[in-house]
Amino acid sequence: MSDTCSLGEAMVFNLARTIRNGDLAFHGFGSPLVQLALHLAKRTHAPDLILVAGATYGINPQPPFLTPTSNDWALDRHAECSLDIEELFDLAASGRMQRMFLSGLQIDAFGNANVTRLGGDTLRLKLPGGGGGCNLSCDVGNFTLWTTAHRGAVGKDGRRMLRLVQQCDFVTSLGHRGVDGSSRAQLGHQGGGPDCLVTDLGLFDYDAEGHARLRSVYTDTTREEVALNTGFALRSLDVLEPMPMPDAQAVAIIRALDPLQVHRKELRPADNERWFPLAA
Amino acid sequence: MKSKPVYAAQDKRLGLDDLAALVQDGDCVAVGGGLSSREPMALVRALVRAGRKNLHVVGSAHGIDIDLLCGAGAVSKSSESYVGFEQDFGMAPNFRRACESGQVEMADGCCYTLVQQLRAAAYGLPFMPMRSVRGTSFSAMHPEYKTMACPYTGEELLLVPALQPDVALIHAQYGDAHGNLRIEGPPVTDILAARASVKVVATVEKLVSNQELQALGGANVPYLYVAALCAVPMGAHPTACYPMYAYDRPHTAAYYAAASAGREAFERDYLQTYVLDCPDHAAYVERVGGSGTQQRLASWSDSNTAWMDLYREVPA
Repeated sequence: MSDTCSLGEAMVFNLARTIRNGDLAFHGFGSPLVQLALHLAKRTHAPDLILVAGATYGINPQPPFLTPTSNDWALDRHAECSLDIEELFDLAASGRMQRMFLSGLQIDAFGNANVTRLGGDTLRLKLPGGGGGCNLSCDVGNFTLWTTAHRGAVGKDGRRMLRLVQQCDFVTSLGHRGVDGSSRAQLGHQGGGPDCLVTDLGLFDYDAEGHARLRSVYTDTTREEVALNTGFALRSLDVLEPMPMPDAQAVAIIRALDPLQVHRKELRPADNERWFPLAA
Repeated sequence: MKSKPVYAAQDKRLGLDDLAALVQDGDCVAVGGGLSSREPMALVRALVRAGRKNLHVVGSAHGIDIDLLCGAGAVSKSSESYVGFEQDFGMAPNFRRACESGQVEMADGCCYTLVQQLRAAAYGLPFMPMRSVRGTSFSAMHPEYKTMACPYTGEELLLVPALQPDVALIHAQYGDAHGNLRIEGPPVTDILAARASVKVVATVEKLVSNQELQALGGANVPYLYVAALCAVPMGAHPTACYPMYAYDRPHTAAYYAAASAGREAFERDYLQTYVLDCPDHAAYVERVGGSGTQQRLASWSDSNTAWMDLYREVPA
């Protein structure tokens, strides 16, 4: 399998591509894909990345392996220095954090995301909550959205349960439009909002209106399949671009970083069986 | 805000159940640590055994501590910013049930909002300003958040009121009899919560002299915040307390299976077995495997392989 990569590895690679060299970026907790993306970026195109670990706030750690939970000393190993929770969020509030990564059980067309509750006035499902995502979505330079469940599972009633929705039941983190329709500029937030959405089906950017726009799909899916699994009218490039794929070196780095393969728990079992040719 | 005392007593050592008695029904409680690390679990279990009710829990990212308190019916309001078991096990079953049944009022916070609110309490101010949050659904969830035009720049700011917990529960690696605490590794919100709260109630892995504490690098929670403390080795189990022991993933998996099976299953298979039927912490440590478990969790420092072995999937 040395000439192929898994869907998870391809997603790690595309998350990593959103990091610029020299950025201060923070990976949050609860996502091995994002943890791997920061470490991959640091070891490839972004050696000057100021990598802040999600739950330990260690800077530039070199974890011997990825752990199943985020606040573990293994993830803090050999950190150069450390922040505390106050300093980390102050850096974002004062405009010194360039990138963050957020997800949601619901993500709308403008990149608002919900990890707080499903159901309108009547609670249907209490979700774990957003940590500091709400604050960071307003303050950070730009952020990358991702989801491993763009392909909607079909429920018992035959309805497809979509992750990309027309409207979030609760806006935990802010995209390009607030709950009353205000823009970020009107709200006076310093952050630029989401500029990329990485999913198990494709890759999006955001157009001038702040609406998600499909740029690429994986070789085993189609624009039509993306549209079927998207709860808002799909906007896309007229001609889709090829999905960027990691090379053998990038895949080797990811595999060495995650010997326990904890990142596979973030994907559905069927998606862990999707393999793609590597970049030349 | 209530006025906050300082704690000057020379010897603050008490038993674990005496510490639990310092927490009252209805208190606003900041539980220390975070996710799978250094949560004051022995103290949490002691609160459950003491039958504490109507606690208002506040904090950043938490897991089994808040879930266990919810499963035991001890919580009536949550302002935590996250309660879950990350991607490893998923959503917090008892927390979910308690919110969905209406037993727990949902007043979710966000990490920086919490920081600003604790800072206001620590600074003795009624509120702190910030920019973020506006435009999200948190403004409607929290009518106590206000906005104002900045008198200097004219820009709109969000004001969040001071949050002064009645008590911060902290588990530290080291402490001395006077109440000085030394937290090693990420402090999460513990140090800030200590400054913001009316009092700190602490457990420590190891009680040492002040001279020894200095040699270890010194206190990061000064004794004057601390009302009482108790030496409770394995006091964070099943969360990690490095360098003493790593996260007990198999025990957490068993907890999660019991909690996921429903309220009755949780009460029978976990709450009764590991909390209510254990008269004290020593009985709990025996129940979870005693010295064998302690040695297994301490083996993380032997090698990276030994460390990884603690987290491998257990065959069903």
